[in-house]
Amino acid sequence: MGEDLIDLDADFAVEAILRDELARENRAAAAVVPVLRHLLSSDAHALVSEAILARVRGMVADCATQLLMAMDARVPAMQNHAAIDDCFNALLGNAALLTFCHTLANESLLAERFEQRRAIDPVLSPLVQELIAADDPAMASLAMTTLAAQSRFVQSQRRMVLPLGELPAELFHAVLAVGHGLACEDTARAGLKRLQAGYDEAASRLGLLARLVAAMRRGAVAALALEHSGLALFASALSAEIRCPRDIAILACHTGQGARLALALRSAGLQLPAIERQLMLVEPDARLPRAIAGLSAERAAALLGAGGAA
Amino acid sequence: MSTLDQPGNLLGSCGITDAHDQLVSADEPLAELQQRCGGQLPGTVAIPELLALVQQARRLGLRIARSFTAFDGDVVVTGFARINPLAVEEGGGCEVLIDNWQRNTLNLPGSREFAEKIDAIDRATAEISARLDARQRIQVFSATAVDTIDLQNAAMAQPGAVWSDLVNLDTVNHHQPLHWRLLDGACCRFAGSQRHWRIRLIPLGGDVHAPTGFELLLNADEPPDADIAPVSEAAGAADPSPTRLVGTTLTPVLRQPIARIIANAETIRARLAGPLRAEYSEYAGTIASAGQHLSAMLDDLADLEVVETPGFAAAHEPVDLADAAVRAAGILGVRAQNRDTVLQVSGTKGQAVATAEFRRVLQILINLIGNAIAYSPAGSTVRITSAPAGEGRVAVMVADEGPGITPDQAERIFDKFERLGRGSNDNDNGSGLGLFISRRLAEAMAGTLTVEAANGGGALFRLELPAQ
Repeated sequence: MGEDLIDLDADFAVEAILRDELARENRAAAAVVPVLRHLLSSDAHALVSEAILARVRGMVADCATQLLMAMDARVPAMQNHAAIDDCFNALLGNAALLTFCHTLANESLLAERFEQRRAIDPVLSPLVQELIAADDPAMASLAMTTLAAQSRFVQSQRRMVLPLGELPAELFHAVLAVGHGLACEDTARAGLKRLQAGYDEAASRLGLLARLVAAMRRGAVAALALEHSGLALFASALSAEIRCPRDIAILACHTGQGARLALALRSAGLQLPAIERQLMLVEPDARLPRAIAGLSAERAAALLGAGGAA
Repeated sequence: MSTLDQPGNLLGSCGITDAHDQLVSADEPLAELQQRCGGQLPGTVAIPELLALVQQARRLGLRIARSFTAFDGDVVVTGFARINPLAVEEGGGCEVLIDNWQRNTLNLPGSREFAEKIDAIDRATAEISARLDARQRIQVFSATAVDTIDLQNAAMAQPGAVWSDLVNLDTVNHHQPLHWRLLDGACCRFAGSQRHWRIRLIPLGGDVHAPTGFELLLNADEPPDADIAPVSEAAGAADPSPTRLVGTTLTPVLRQPIARIIANAETIRARLAGPLRAEYSEYAGTIASAGQHLSAMLDDLADLEVVETPGFAAAHEPVDLADAAVRAAGILGVRAQNRDTVLQVSGTKGQAVATAEFRRVLQILINLIGNAIAYSPAGSTVRITSAPAGEGRVAVMVADEGPGITPDQAERIFDKFERLGRGSNDNDNGSGLGLFISRRLAEAMAGTLTVEAANGGGALFRLELPAQ
């Protein structure tokens, strides 16, 4: 009798586990169709597309590979698929890293589209040309270095890779932390230490772009014209001018984000004709309320900051 | 020198922080910003965004590069900071390099908006707030700070009292109650608090000419710390000394116009506003360097006043001379590089520790090394050595490879305004006060500053200080 009862309890437990498991599997199966529909219906211009997915996957996997290479240079990390998968999954846990990779993928696809449709060179824009020809040798050499970094970026995006040194300091630190979590040997830790010592945010593409924008001083306003400065410099200048993360500036250049772009440019102090010209490049069929000219720059910044919540 | 250094005018200023985010040394622009933001040198980094960046770099152990903005009271300063965390054996702090100083006047919003902002700030920070009726009698009273308990009790004990009867108004001697416009912005004090309180009276109700009541806010200008009041009074008592004319009166007034002359001349020189003939750019360069000379002269004169004040004394703290030498050499690294001069620092940390004031030792060393760089031929080596020197003494020596100093000159070199006929030298920006001030500083720390001939020609300056 007692045994029956225990068996009954055990059966219940087993059933409960199985039921939970089945529910999870059902949810996973049910999620397939909406995701599929989104991917299928979206053209190349959507915020999430196959192209972006592939790039993000490539970049995160590349980060994982570089991390493992730094920790153990003897075994070619490319061959150690299990280790790469572990590291890859650990990196996927970091939402900020995914956002960053998503923005980069977006930036490269947008730049490609601007090149095709508007003939805006993703690497050498008129403004970068002017800066390279500047009288000030320091400015010219900074612009030249930035140009080289930008062309490496375009190349690495085609290969869907991301050198670790291109990460902002916080993300680099988070990636290192993942490495420390996986490292169990002293040599691996030493490798991570070397990686850390070699990092210099000022030498990364985003660091260089920010330095270039800072070096342009008040002339940075000239970079707020997409056709003149190119997407990379435009986004850095916009983010410096209105003090928002660069992610937001890139997002604002996306089709369907016209209100964000208009508000961002307005809060940077641009007048209506200039805003309209930029909006035409990004979203030709968008309609902009003309009253935005009457909005004060501060008010525009407040609206942008509130994110439409108020 | 650091790998981050780069030639050209993009490098604006640099500084060093320690493991507790104290700015221990800094170039002129950074030091000035630090002071204008209410900080000291050495002292915790007072520029909020820069402090956050330094803390972040130190925490992550990564070289970071970000732009920052600060408001120094008059202008908005923006710059691009590269922060290089140092290893523990190098002090555990950060090297801070700032590119692209930029000073913009603050765009003040319209007066009405501005007044609203001020009201909002005062409301948010007030340590005492009260609601008054139309005749300024207290209806509700609330206070948070420790030293306001007496006032709160007094307000409780006399409900309906006119608020100004409970405090001593500093400047106003009229019969009360006064018109609110006269009281708004005035200062007051009250029993139980050592602090000075600023009064805000904000009228309530639709008609400002006949307000239905008031909001009373009292803001103290100092934090609620018992030590503060006596110190500020002591400083106030020392100030009237007639000898401090330059430092307390002239320097603050002149600093800003001179800085503006230099900044504008630099703008013209660098052709930032557009192409310009080379001659004009050179003239602007001359104006800028003359401005810098004037500014350095002003600093020297202010220092001179300080060291000549009767009763001038330096603090006593352990100062590692090897460390001070490394710091001073680091600060002048860019200047040395521009003249292809090598700064060779030797001496082991902890071997020569003096009892002196770090800031003053650094000031002397910067003066000596700066002289050595300016007066020795380009491409030479300046040797900075720290070592124990006899019974209870430690010394730091600065030797150059310049023309040297004759015994006759050695007697006069420490005199006030003595420049040894170096006025024709293009590199000379001196006021003839540097060595005089340095010697007085050394003497104030119970030390000596002497000059002798260096091995192989050149001059050797020796700063001796009491050992710890």
